[in-house]
Amino acid sequence: MKTNQTKGVVRLLTFLLVLFLAMGMAFAAGAKEEAAPSGPVSMTIATWTSNPDQIALLDSFVQGFAAQKGIEIDATFESIPFAEYNTKLSLELQGQNGPDLFWVLETAAPAFIESGLLANLNDGMKAYDPQDISSDALELWSKDGNVYAIPFSTSPFFILYNEDLFAKAGVKTPEQYAAEGAWDWEAFKLASKTIKEKTGVWGFQTVDGQGYDARILHNLAPIVRSYGGDFWTDDGQVLINSDASVAAVQLFHDMVYQDVSVVPPGNQSDFFAGNAAMTVGQISRVSKLNDASFAWGIAPMPSGPEGKSPVIGQAAIGAHSKGKQAALASELVAYMTNKDSVAAMSGIWPPARKSVLESEAFLTSNKSVSKEQMQNAVAASIKTGRVLPSHVKYPQIEVESKMVFDKLWQKNADVGAILDEVAAVYAKYIK
Amino acid sequence: MKQHSLKANHRRDAIIGWAFITPQMAGFVFFVLLPLVSVFLYSVQEKNLLFGTSVFNGLENFRLLFADPLFSKSLVNTLIFSAGVVPLNLIFSLLLALYLGGGKMGTRFVRGIIFLPVVTSGVAWAIVWKYLLQGGDAGPINWFLSLIGIEGPNWLFEKGWAMASVIVNRVMKNLGMNVLIFMGAVLNMPGDVIEAARIDGAKRFTLFFKIKLPLLMPTVMMVAIVTIIGSMRVFDTIKLMTDGGPEGSTMVMVYYIYHQAFRMFDTGFASALAVVLFLIVLVLTALQWFSRKRISFYES
Repeated sequence: MKTNQTKGVVRLLTFLLVLFLAMGMAFAAGAKEEAAPSGPVSMTIATWTSNPDQIALLDSFVQGFAAQKGIEIDATFESIPFAEYNTKLSLELQGQNGPDLFWVLETAAPAFIESGLLANLNDGMKAYDPQDISSDALELWSKDGNVYAIPFSTSPFFILYNEDLFAKAGVKTPEQYAAEGAWDWEAFKLASKTIKEKTGVWGFQTVDGQGYDARILHNLAPIVRSYGGDFWTDDGQVLINSDASVAAVQLFHDMVYQDVSVVPPGNQSDFFAGNAAMTVGQISRVSKLNDASFAWGIAPMPSGPEGKSPVIGQAAIGAHSKGKQAALASELVAYMTNKDSVAAMSGIWPPARKSVLESEAFLTSNKSVSKEQMQNAVAASIKTGRVLPSHVKYPQIEVESKMVFDKLWQKNADVGAILDEVAAVYAKYIK
Repeated sequence: MKQHSLKANHRRDAIIGWAFITPQMAGFVFFVLLPLVSVFLYSVQEKNLLFGTSVFNGLENFRLLFADPLFSKSLVNTLIFSAGVVPLNLIFSLLLALYLGGGKMGTRFVRGIIFLPVVTSGVAWAIVWKYLLQGGDAGPINWFLSLIGIEGPNWLFEKGWAMASVIVNRVMKNLGMNVLIFMGAVLNMPGDVIEAARIDGAKRFTLFFKIKLPLLMPTVMMVAIVTIIGSMRVFDTIKLMTDGGPEGSTMVMVYYIYHQAFRMFDTGFASALAVVLFLIVLVLTALQWFSRKRISFYES
């Protein structure tokens, strides 16, 4: 009797297993043979912004494109948190319901291009004056003469500061320092320390408060590069443990642990809530200050011994090569990055199109930022700025090096020795 | 005729029986058995999640795994985590169950308080605790410690303290469920046996170790097995509170599997890790199961 029951269970399990496999095969076959939709076309667009105004702007481009094509598009915007973006996106793209269009981070560009998940955009771009896009800006997103994503944002990092706290501490503002040509990292360090001592409020918060984990490179790159150092180079040199890099990281470490003027790891004090005098931001972050209870301003990043070395955060948009609407999505990407579209979003995401970038309208495109601030902190930096380093193995590099970087965030950390360890991790992947 | 009717009845009963278990079995096949089989298949492949590639590579993932210092680190971290969580959870939940089972004043209120974390969302719980455990004088816990002259550490960003923090956090979050299970057992203890021991002059400690604990042992064994398995598979507490840091000091095995599969996209290697974890949990559970007769008088 027991044997019969066991046999029955085995039969049932086998039946269900076969049923599942058959359903899987039928589903896969059905997906390939899907007929052209008769109603509105559904498209999903993955981004890391959840700002409703920014989403509405992106949706207006989708609707403009739909009107031009004479079709209806029902767009769904999927906002994935920045720290989880690459993880969740890659998982979705390998599944059946990945987004049709998606933003790509500059650090992950080579890996995504290599993966074959990005559709070739050469044909889609033809209608929209591709020569207008700076070739430097396209370099990261191209391989073997083919373009796989188009940068919609070439946005330099700058200092956002709380003017009230500077006044309270009796310290010159970063803009005043910059006007005198004295805005360097030493002045930045001193301002941060003085504000903490005189007001009790933190002098500096790292970019989005993530400078010790998800945004280590964003946090350290401006200091490291203006000291003449770097993380690694395109030709395979690892420079994170060079003397210049060590001196730069030591400066930041001293600010955190000697001056105690920087919001430390784990502390949730936020610049936008008035709990820090300075932070690093981009023009897209300025809208967070619309309802700020304090006066604020923006200034370029401080310069180092090697002069100014602006860092640009670049983001591009691409189409899913294996998506059900790959061809239409490629056209939509090109439309979203045409001259009119990038001009409309230039106040949030500075463009890579030369005609828009060089126009007078760009300097007045963000109502919260003055023409001079836009010129000094944004436009000037775009011309000379460099993007963060990237690599086809970036996901692995990021995870492994983060564990070593963790050692830095202790009071008695030996910065040089730890950066040697980071360099060893980089060298493992970068050849 | 009668035999035919009996056969028909049997068949009808069988069909009804299968109809009842089919939904459950379907769920088991689709969501447990198939993924489990897939993990074993993936573990012998070089499989990249981002690139969508997979190539059979035999036992190469297992060879790499045993040479990987992070694997041994994650294994040690898992054991430390379990060694912290399991005894603390069992001891406190048993003591609380004995207290609450005694029907003393305020037990309903205490029971509610202890069970509250179990029904609280794990994300909300972690966010609140990350706030409470901030370093310096920003965190309420450190502020409280400073009142009594103690300078608290940066709990989640210092090695050692980070592991201690997640262990205590995990114990507090899940204690209520085990208290509830133990209370059921405490309330079902035969009163006459305890009464007889008291009459024979058994004092409190003798009563506990010689009478109550042996009576509760089958439940203790069951709770121990479930708690050990749960602690070996911890993910949410680590993901939400420390992200495996600092310096990988809270990188437990399940989180390392997640790191390899979804951050580094090496699904094949991650599957090999999952197979090893599966075998470890299987062996531990089997050891406990087969040793239960030695530990508990009431196991048959």
